[in-house]
Amino acid sequence: MGQFMIKVGLEVNGKKIQKEVPEHTLLSTFLREHLNLTGTHVGCDTSQCGACVVHVDGKSIKSCTALAADLNGSKVKTIEGLVKNGKMHPMQEAFKKLHGLQCGFCTPGMVMSAIDLLEHNSNPSDKEIRDWLEGNICRCTGYQNIVAAVKEAATKM
Amino acid sequence: MASLVGSRVERKEDKKLLTGRGKYTADVTFAHQTYAYFIRSPHARAEIKKVDFSKAIKAPGVVSVLTGKDIVDDKIGGLIAGWRIKSEDGSDMKVPPHPPLASETVNYVGDHVAVVIAESLDEARNAADLVKVDYKVLKAVVDTSDAMKSDQIYKDIPKNLCFDWLLGDRAKVKEAFDKADKVIKIDLINNRLVPNAMEPRAANADYNPSTEEITLYTTSQNPHLARIIISAFNGVAPENKLRVIAPDVGGGFGSKIYPYAEEVVCSWAAKKNRKTSKMGCG
Repeated sequence: MGQFMIKVGLEVNGKKIQKEVPEHTLLSTFLREHLNLTGTHVGCDTSQCGACVVHVDGKSIKSCTALAADLNGSKVKTIEGLVKNGKMHPMQEAFKKLHGLQCGFCTPGMVMSAIDLLEHNSNPSDKEIRDWLEGNICRCTGYQNIVAAVKEAATKM
Repeated sequence: MASLVGSRVERKEDKKLLTGRGKYTADVTFAHQTYAYFIRSPHARAEIKKVDFSKAIKAPGVVSVLTGKDIVDDKIGGLIAGWRIKSEDGSDMKVPPHPPLASETVNYVGDHVAVVIAESLDEARNAADLVKVDYKVLKAVVDTSDAMKSDQIYKDIPKNLCFDWLLGDRAKVKEAFDKADKVIKIDLINNRLVPNAMEPRAANADYNPSTEEITLYTTSQNPHLARIIISAFNGVAPENKLRVIAPDVGGGFGSKIYPYAEEVVCSWAAKKNRKTSKMGCG
């Protein structure tokens, strides 16, 4: 059972990366195991929980079901890429201020997903936020404070 | 000083968790890391006839394959029930055996039969496909209401009855019912409870051959208990040679209070192989 290696070139959080990895390497594995970007979490490994959401060319996707090699040449942004000059992104600030997290495991995916929403709908209703975040599961908060945090971030972004 | 009552209290851990700088168990990787992949029962109840890992042990990257026989040989204790209850007749609760790797029977789908330790998770997973387990499938008991009438699962536990628990005063309750105008009988069906934290269970054990110490990282709500159980009951290492660290934990909801087979096996395998062994998500 030999492994077929493949070259994958990505721009991750503004940095050009080139790695040779087994061809079946998932984007989540590429980020976590090959780049040590462990902020992207794997909760279910089956695209249901959303803890692994990152941005690829500006769109949120579940990195646990995308092959890294398929995305060759893309720009990837992870939770680690949001802080600018030591300052958190307005979405991160809003989650902190309004207790939109507890254990923090779903949080990176939740934040990345919510940012994508606001980038194409700057003033979403509660229902639009809930519908959008349908693919991101949180077990601690009960979602109320997450929705409140997204609404707060909408006023700052 | 502002009053603490009614004022906002910001959580100290939020910034790291929000910026991807948390450290959960699966985020911990040691130098010379090895990976554990478990072979699990596909049957609800079966007898293990034979475990053949002759091909798996020769597969690329494989460090070792351990089975229930190794658990018996090394005198590794079973998983414990953390609560002692006496039945109505005063007898102690009967606790069925639950070895971390089964050697005689498996008793649920997912019960652990063997573990492959390899240099990478891919290699461990590939080699696990080469482990052949022969089972004699037995009739499973899947319904509590029929359990006492079903085949006996454990030889020392007649009628499959672990305990018969009584709370309250049987005589007084009978008296009240006898005097009642109307008595209604209902079956109470309790829904299944699944704690289901967002972070799956994970463990990573590191063995230092020079100090003979095991350091176990595990996603735990109770690392102190894990340390006592894995040393005193499972007998993996004396307590002073076992350190248990619970880093950031992605929810537990009670499911991460007790240690499971994987934590025991990873700690034991790390010591046995004089390396590290990691089990976890992704």
